Amino acid sequence: MKAIIFATATTIVLLVVVTIAFRFRQTAQRARQMTLIYLCCVMLSALTWLTTSVDLGFLARSLLIEPGWLDFSLMLFFFSSAFFGGALELYNLADRGFSLRILIDVEETDSPAVDAAWLVANYAGGNGLTWMYGKRIEGLLETKLVDRKAEMIELTSKGERAADVFFAGRRFLRLEPQS
Amino acid sequence: MTLNPVLATLIVVAIWFLVFVCLHIVGLRSRQDNAQWLVRSYAACSAAMLVSVVALSMWRDSGQTLLLSLLIAILTSACLFVLYVPAIYTILTSLSIATLTLLRRTGGHMPETSLYDRFATRGIIQQRLCVLVGAGYLIEDACGFSLTSRGRGLARAFAFIKRLWCLGPGG
Repeated sequence: MKAIIFATATTIVLLVVVTIAFRFRQTAQRARQMTLIYLCCVMLSALTWLTTSVDLGFLARSLLIEPGWLDFSLMLFFFSSAFFGGALELYNLADRGFSLRILIDVEETDSPAVDAAWLVANYAGGNGLTWMYGKRIEGLLETKLVDRKAEMIELTSKGERAADVFFAGRRFLRLEPQS
Repeated sequence: MTLNPVLATLIVVAIWFLVFVCLHIVGLRSRQDNAQWLVRSYAACSAAMLVSVVALSMWRDSGQTLLLSLLIAILTSACLFVLYVPAIYTILTSLSIATLTLLRRTGGHMPETSLYDRFATRGIIQQRLCVLVGAGYLIEDACGFSLTSRGRGLARAFAFIKRLWCLGPGG
């Protein structure tokens, strides 16, 4: 139970610190900023876990996870899942979610209904779909998965390895041609 | 030697989560509706997992550690789920990954304008609009697409997060 309490408390601390950081210390690399905050929170929770009693002074014996290493490991697992599957994913969805941005655009327009042509021109608060795809290409260039040569976009060797893995995954799920 | 009750619970959770992943993948490969199939298969495996955890606890110690075992089981399964779903959705829907796999299929390179013609088009938007209609976030009528109350709630929640975190237009 100590693991659950610590993981919950650390997740709340992380969300508060991330919110403060995003509002008052803006950077282009928010995912990296979040990951640094996560690592600081991991250290904080580990230190606090090690310096507090097993039952926190109030937990009943039937609620204790024993041995201690298991409780500690579970705390790290719960907290890491809350970060990678929760906070970081929430950020990814809010910042890059394609479908979610469509919903927000429809919500923010004065028009009672929209069509695909309107969204192509006005996606992401008027930036348009070309801007959105440009962001994706820039992301692939920044992570060195592709390279731009003249008018061509080419896979780098790192990109080829990543593409092989994703292609195999998509083929296995029958999303790619099976030939 | 008796196995630690928490470890035994974790093993049960891992086994049922593995069953869920297998079921989900089988459903995807047989072209089941992804979102529905995901929820149904997870709900079924979670119910089976909870029954197994209760049975295990009753058999081991007449339910003395039942509350803790249930808490650990629910939380661990939820954690595995929130790690699994983004990973699978990235493979299924990410435009960046679709770009990489398209480049791989075309010999590793393509004119940039062809990529824009493929991914920054009305067809991609139309495809997503259909998915959003299917999920109950949008409705389509003669005037076009508009939000359902569910879609409006989700859009407002994420618009709030974007404002709270000062994320800009994004998308």
